Amino acid sequence: MGRLLNVKRFTLGASAGLLALIGLLPLSVMVAYSFIADGSIGVRHYVDTLGRTRAWTLFLNSIALATFSTIVALAIGVPVAVLIAKTKMPFRRLITVCFSVPILIPPYVLATGWFEILGRDGLVSRFTSPSVGEMTSSWLFSLPGAVLVLSTAFLPVILLLSLASLRGVNPTLEDAARLFCGWPLVLKRITIPLALPGIWLSLVLVFLLAMGEFGAPSYLRLSVFPVESFTQFSAFYNAGAATAASIPMLLVVAIGLLAGSRLLREGTHYFRWAGSQVTPHHISLGRFAPLTSALVLIAALVLIVAPCAALIWRGFSGTAMNSALLQATDSIAWSLLYAGIAASGVALLGFFLAYASQRRSFAKWLWIDGLTLFLFAIPGTVIGIAAIVTWNHPLTGWLYASPAILILGFAAQYIAIGTHGIAAGLAQFSPSLEEAAEIAGAGWFRRVATILTPLSKTAITAAWLLTFIFCLRDSSLSLLLSPPGRETLTARTMTLMANGSPDVIAALCLISMLLPVIPLAIFGIAVRIVRKRA
Amino acid sequence: MMNARRIVSRLSWFAFAAVALIGCRTARQETVTIYVSEDRVFSEPILKDFERDTGIRVLAVYDTEEAKSTGVMNRLLSEKNNPQADLYWANEPVRADVLRQQGVSTPFKPANAQQIPEKFKDPAGYWTGFSARARLFVVNKNAKFRPTSVLSYSDEKTRGRSVIANPLFGTTTAQMAALFSVWGDDKGKQFLAALKANRVKLSTGNGESADLVATGEFDFALVDSDDAVDRMRRGKPIEIVYPDQGEGEPGLLILPNAVSLIQGGPNPANGRRLMEYLVSPETERKLALAGCAQIPLHPGVAPPAEIKPIDQLKTMEVNYGDLGAKLQAIQPVLKQWVGY
Repeated sequence: MGRLLNVKRFTLGASAGLLALIGLLPLSVMVAYSFIADGSIGVRHYVDTLGRTRAWTLFLNSIALATFSTIVALAIGVPVAVLIAKTKMPFRRLITVCFSVPILIPPYVLATGWFEILGRDGLVSRFTSPSVGEMTSSWLFSLPGAVLVLSTAFLPVILLLSLASLRGVNPTLEDAARLFCGWPLVLKRITIPLALPGIWLSLVLVFLLAMGEFGAPSYLRLSVFPVESFTQFSAFYNAGAATAASIPMLLVVAIGLLAGSRLLREGTHYFRWAGSQVTPHHISLGRFAPLTSALVLIAALVLIVAPCAALIWRGFSGTAMNSALLQATDSIAWSLLYAGIAASGVALLGFFLAYASQRRSFAKWLWIDGLTLFLFAIPGTVIGIAAIVTWNHPLTGWLYASPAILILGFAAQYIAIGTHGIAAGLAQFSPSLEEAAEIAGAGWFRRVATILTPLSKTAITAAWLLTFIFCLRDSSLSLLLSPPGRETLTARTMTLMANGSPDVIAALCLISMLLPVIPLAIFGIAVRIVRKRA
Repeated sequence: MMNARRIVSRLSWFAFAAVALIGCRTARQETVTIYVSEDRVFSEPILKDFERDTGIRVLAVYDTEEAKSTGVMNRLLSEKNNPQADLYWANEPVRADVLRQQGVSTPFKPANAQQIPEKFKDPAGYWTGFSARARLFVVNKNAKFRPTSVLSYSDEKTRGRSVIANPLFGTTTAQMAALFSVWGDDKGKQFLAALKANRVKLSTGNGESADLVATGEFDFALVDSDDAVDRMRRGKPIEIVYPDQGEGEPGLLILPNAVSLIQGGPNPANGRRLMEYLVSPETERKLALAGCAQIPLHPGVAPPAEIKPIDQLKTMEVNYGDLGAKLQAIQPVLKQWVGY
């Protein structure tokens, strides 16, 4: 018994140690380096970097970009979520799919799509005049343009989390309120307030993701912190300055996470889902239903379908696709391979960390939770720079020069998807099942293999898929950590953007959009086959 | 349940086999690792040709637009004690010389570069120049003022009508280092101050500068010859002006590509082979015909149609090695000027 207990503790301890090795150690080394300047210890990098007006201009730009992107995504996402969750508006499923598509697409691809529409030689310029094209191009390559791209890119986060929160509201409360007032007041006083913690959480997440986004602001030449960090590091290889430049952002992330965890704690008091026993009632839109549906579909067409269609218009030619595929076959394979390995690692490590967190196996389980969320929320440029600073030594050259450094970077950034997704799965069934097996003499690994894994397989699969998609759409880690000659599709596309053919770049962006569809399709087919045979 | 397990098991074996196959392919093949500052769209076809001709796999790292041609150089500096690359293909020799000064590169004089003029090669062989770009003006055809010299930037008649790329990145850094070398630091600083006073627009790169002139937003910009030729081939209303060609003027700056062998690189023999390939007349011919329209340094190789042959241009007399030191010395001045 004691030996088995040790096996369990050893495995969970090793998992926590691995998390510290891939996440905490590089960040600590990076921060330590930032206090060394010209061979002496001091705060020169901080004084040099944060003592300049430019640093605070960048900070304000980042805050403005994140705030406006969140507000726009909120203004669209929450009303659409209410319409989908609480009405019988036609085409609800199609609308959900349309608004969720951007989660599969790297934000810089959306920016490229908008460039095909609003750029100097874009569609607007062609159908109007070059002067209009210049005006729309200047607008796109500025804060409003970046807000348009990022609010669309992160709209699915607000929409899907708001949908989940709204559907989680106990319908009996709404029914009781309906006895006294109409739907507008029920929404205002009951539904929205009860769903508010989930909605707030989605806002915090979108704010942090928009603040840490590198690809789209970099493409749109917007000076924000992640781009500055990347430039400081890539152009000057000054890790100390890059770290100093990222400190204000890390503080914002920490504050955001504290707010997020508080909201989640508050949220747990409100949700009392009555399950299948009570069928939720829907708001009747009456004769306005088709009009509402049409308006929402038009919004989806303008915001999401238009940039994708522009890319198809530009890049979907035999010559461009052929050229893109000829150039990028290797990168496509590497992208799938890296994302597959990283997703599997995250699922495995995430399972053990989720178990430790869910079953409170460590006294400091909250630290693990906090660290994974922190790693998820900080910009990829920070994780990438930290990995290079830590592993670029003769002793660890084998790691630094191999794809392992990128895979570890992915694992560090996205481990939260594994831990939190799988923890939610583990929470769905009682620990007594495992305890019963333990009393019957089953060892811990056997219990994991025969009880915990099968019961949480949906959560594990979902975590794997989500991690896989996030790794495929990642740009900053791919650019910083891809090994020579074995880069990802994102890194290839972004290094081709200097003087590359716009048709081929559009074709590469189209391939990037289609890439995450492959595992989803395979997964869907596999599920169907298994269900059919069962 | 069994079916699901079987499917998962088969998929796992398939994935394992794919990884093993890729791993074996890479392990078996001879490789050479090169870090490249030249735009990928132009350099990658050359490296693919080398792969096809020799069977040696090229593992390349390319700079991004954000890193502005300095990313891989800085990466090489940071990897000095842990070298991963065999070669560095710089898009100008100044940064290649920085590697010499920092002890990152090692001497090698390729036989294929014997006919390249000595001024485009490091005397000790730490870098070898090939296929050059000229720093010249693109001027909008409707512009009222035609610049003749770099000093036209400070001419009051051009106030608010000219644009220059950020001098912290790319070839504009080398241009500034060359001007500081030729003029001296005081005149260089005065020139920078004059640019600000004359409201010269700062762009993110030469490509953007050329676009701003092509659309008529600005009258002229100092760019690389490839940026100018690219816009001309796209039918933009611009023309080329070669600066400082008059009596007593310093001439225009020529910036050849440069290739350096890295000290302690993993495959030095293959590195030397690729270096010979890059500096050959055949590669220069390809780069002249490509979209980058580079000027060959080997005698007898035809230049792009839009650019004058190098022997018909008055070129700036600079020591690229000195420019490397100057570049490092003036970086704080440039940073302060830009506001970094």
